[in-house]
Amino acid sequence: MADQELEVLNDRVDLGVGEDVIGDRPRRYQRRRPRQVIPDYVDWKDVDFLRQFVPERGKIMPRRISGISARDQRRLAKAIKRARSMALLPFVAD
Amino acid sequence: MANRTYEVMYIIHPDTDGERVEKLNEAVGKLIEKEGGEIVRMDDIGLRELAYPIQKKTEGHYVLFEINGTGQEILELERRMRVNDMIMRYVTVRVDEERKTAEKRRTKRETRATKRASFRQAPAEATEEAPSAEA
Repeated sequence: MADQELEVLNDRVDLGVGEDVIGDRPRRYQRRRPRQVIPDYVDWKDVDFLRQFVPERGKIMPRRISGISARDQRRLAKAIKRARSMALLPFVAD
Repeated sequence: MANRTYEVMYIIHPDTDGERVEKLNEAVGKLIEKEGGEIVRMDDIGLRELAYPIQKKTEGHYVLFEINGTGQEILELERRMRVNDMIMRYVTVRVDEERKTAEKRRTKRETRATKRASFRQAPAEATEEAPSAEA
């Protein structure tokens, strides 16, 4: 089950755009459990940690995929943006 | 003004030679202390690849300072960094508030955990006692 979930996740990340549609018909989302624990203090300098939430394209992973809480997503997004401004993370990667 | 904690990070031009980098860092430290700030931590991270080119350079020398102060020294420091050609980019982040909320969350969780543990232990002990009493 866990493997299957992971596969689906990777699939979507590769697509980059049109994540809602796999094949012809729109896909229904299952509520996902977060696969990683978010620390109480999200350090914007911890690039290795933040990278988990930045797929290849460089976009911030949506919450519906990572499954983290809204509060954590906000903190994470802020940290990622700070890291971007200091060239620790890319704005766009190709 | 209240005491605050800041993280200041800056990227020095990669072609700057080591001596000048050291001098610059020293000057920054001196400036902070002169303005009444206290250096908690100073970390010369060194040459690191940039995630995207800045001023057509793909590398940069990263330096990180952690400062306790009023904010006055940050004002002066940023003004100087802005005009310094060696510094390609800088950022200041105020960290004390976020750390405080993180600490709060942590202690809250811990007290909850201990409470739960003590609650669970009580009935477990009761069942353990029963067979021993029989024997």
